[in-house]
Amino acid sequence: MSYHCPVCNKVSKSALDLARHMIGRGDKVHRDWISSKGFKYSELLTLQFKSFGGEGFKALAGVLEKETKVKD
Amino acid sequence: MSKYSVIGTRVHRVDGPEKVTGSAKYTFDLVLPGMLYGKVLRSPYPHAKILKIDARKAKRLVGVKAVITGKDTIGRKQGIWRRFPELCDEEILCREKVRYIGDPVAAVAAIDEDTAEEALDLIDVEYEPLPAVFDPLEAIKEDAPQIHDGVELNININRHIEWGDVDEAFEKCDHIREDQYKCCPQAHVCMETHDAVVSYDYGGKMTVWTSTQSSYYIQRLMADMTGLREGDIRVIKPPTGGGFGSKFELDSAQFPAAILSMKLCKPIKIVLSREEEFTATKRRTPMYYYLKLGAKKDGTLLAKEARVITEGGAYTAMGATALYLTGFFSSFPYKYPNYRYDGYRAYTNTAPTSAMRGFGAPQSTFVGESQLDMMAEDLGIDPIEIRRKNGMTPNYEVPGQAFIQSCGLHQCLDKIETHIKERGKLPPNHGIGVSAYGFMSGGIFNWFDTPYAFSAAVVRINVDGKVDLFTGACDIGQGSDTTLSMICAEELGVKLEDIRIHAADTGICPPDLGAWGSRETLMNGNAVKRAAADCKRQLLEVAAAKMAPNIVYDFDIKDCWVHLVDRPERGVSYYDIVKEAIRGRDGNAIMGRGYYTPHRKGMISPAYSFGVQVAEVEVDPETGRYKLINVTTAHESGTVINPVGIEGQLEGAIMMAGGYGFCEDQPMDEGKILNPSIADYKLIRSLDMPETEILEIDTYEPEGPFGAKEAGEGLTNPTAGAIGNAVYKAVGVRINDLPITPEKVLRALKEKQKKSK
Repeated sequence: MSYHCPVCNKVSKSALDLARHMIGRGDKVHRDWISSKGFKYSELLTLQFKSFGGEGFKALAGVLEKETKVKD
Repeated sequence: MSKYSVIGTRVHRVDGPEKVTGSAKYTFDLVLPGMLYGKVLRSPYPHAKILKIDARKAKRLVGVKAVITGKDTIGRKQGIWRRFPELCDEEILCREKVRYIGDPVAAVAAIDEDTAEEALDLIDVEYEPLPAVFDPLEAIKEDAPQIHDGVELNININRHIEWGDVDEAFEKCDHIREDQYKCCPQAHVCMETHDAVVSYDYGGKMTVWTSTQSSYYIQRLMADMTGLREGDIRVIKPPTGGGFGSKFELDSAQFPAAILSMKLCKPIKIVLSREEEFTATKRRTPMYYYLKLGAKKDGTLLAKEARVITEGGAYTAMGATALYLTGFFSSFPYKYPNYRYDGYRAYTNTAPTSAMRGFGAPQSTFVGESQLDMMAEDLGIDPIEIRRKNGMTPNYEVPGQAFIQSCGLHQCLDKIETHIKERGKLPPNHGIGVSAYGFMSGGIFNWFDTPYAFSAAVVRINVDGKVDLFTGACDIGQGSDTTLSMICAEELGVKLEDIRIHAADTGICPPDLGAWGSRETLMNGNAVKRAAADCKRQLLEVAAAKMAPNIVYDFDIKDCWVHLVDRPERGVSYYDIVKEAIRGRDGNAIMGRGYYTPHRKGMISPAYSFGVQVAEVEVDPETGRYKLINVTTAHESGTVINPVGIEGQLEGAIMMAGGYGFCEDQPMDEGKILNPSIADYKLIRSLDMPETEILEIDTYEPEGPFGAKEAGEGLTNPTAGAIGNAVYKAVGVRINDLPITPEKVLRALKEKQKKSK
């Protein structure tokens, strides 16, 4: 299964990996897409920072799982 | 008997005579005809708007020739991460806003330093102070003042590294530890402060003499910031009194001197004072570290998670690289099957933090090695054994990050184990702490966005056999001129005295990224070796034609004797062959060129060194004071090119890293550094230095010149961790925030006593 980034079309092997890519990339276009889904980019970052377990990535991955183009 | 004639021999430094006689001319010593002296006016506020600068009174002072402010620049921002414009955030001469105490706002050129200093007092700057924030944990709060426009929560940059399934792995662990640490800042304290002499002439050409770790970077950054063409700027690095990571960005000596010189067409000299050096240059990055480590009962490490927030200070500088490297080296030198790192760098209204010897790895090694000892104790496993069980081995791939070819970690552990046994039973209140480490041999990063090879060298052989070696490598005291000359001599088969090195002058040397990330021996060494090999090939062609052996023989040169490999007694003098070769080439000198850029070597570095260090301390439980008794290091850096150089690096590293673990810090009050002098900043002095021993381990690095790799920065990684573990072994208290001062030890001892009652 491959997940395509809705902004730059980069292919990831899971929604979680795609979330890592989008937050890690962090440029304006990726940030804007994240904002359009009701998240605040900086809040996702601080969520990552505040606890072990990659919570910020997981929160975004939940949305990406449903909303991104997926290919088998 | 060694197969090498030059490599591995104990030689004097090629720059030794001029250094020990005091005849070496540093930038500080340079005086040019008509030269003026510059001084820099700096912000007294940690965060403020600049409303107005009135320099009329200063300009009227007799002897003052010019005053400049940010308005005299072309208004660009510099940054060494040139590929990422948003990270180029430092104006050097601020135009609208200052972001830390020490941010430059104006500069003066005058006939002497005293007049320039006096003129600074006459410049009237009207500020509007703004709320400021000094701690990264405060800076990322919603209500914190914003330091740079558009940077949400002051998060300058974030980095994530991950492999395996960390969450699943933690579920399988028999034991998990979670610990917090705080790593302090550290000043570079170079013997030579930042300084520059800049001469801009009426023809539009600029020459910069400066104490730097990269002439090429300064040339390129100066071009960016002045609008001049790179080729119109010549940067020359005279002998340099230390760098340690502080001198490869454009600084507040170089840039104001350049702008003043462009304004006056006169040479300008600016030398930062020791106080400016402490308050207005960059420093080692302070970090808050949160670590989670999981293991099986037998000590097998299954998972590690690290979260880090660093105090970035006012600008990006090299802090983004330190943020990545601390995350990468947090997995060193062990084979973690599952690993996750999240790193954040927050802007704060403090002096910017950046690279310093070890580049994020001393922090990760201190916290990682402290926690690993705690894990070993929890599981009832010997500290050496847990390291042996999990340590990296040759040909190991750090998943998705790096490929490690040579690795002598296990031999180092064996040697150190023997050393500990030989120390025997320790007296009361003594403890030995162990710490293992690894480090890179130059970085495979091109954030600077250079189109050039990472390293290059040109070798020219003259008619008398004397060899001119041209390289952009920067000897900042670490001895690269000597090491590279040795590599050149060995490859060419001549004596060290036959080599004359010309280094770090952009006017005559090929570009090189400079002295950072422990890159010169491996990267520039490869370029030099290739350039020398190119020359040697040309000489051997002439030798083959001249000697015309009746069967096919391979030729070589050794000890200035050009000979048949299988019949070494048959040969001719190198000097004779050089003369014939030049005559046969229409009088042209023999020229060789060599380049090196790493390819297919992962994301970090082409090679890694490894080692294990132990520190023995004696703690006075009444006062918390402790002494460093002995520091012994088993180190492997591939083939040793220059043994005297490695010994010097190691002793210097113990002094610097010992200070980091033991006493060095930069306390602040509202952004103001409280100890900006050598008297108040506590360095390890000669009387504090422990006995040091080196146990050199032989390895061979296939990627390195003659099998060599780094032996510079890695040596600063283990000491703070070894000291922390030794203090714990001695008196049973664990200090998780650096430096481990006697006050902290005493406080912890009292706390321990209270709990035991």
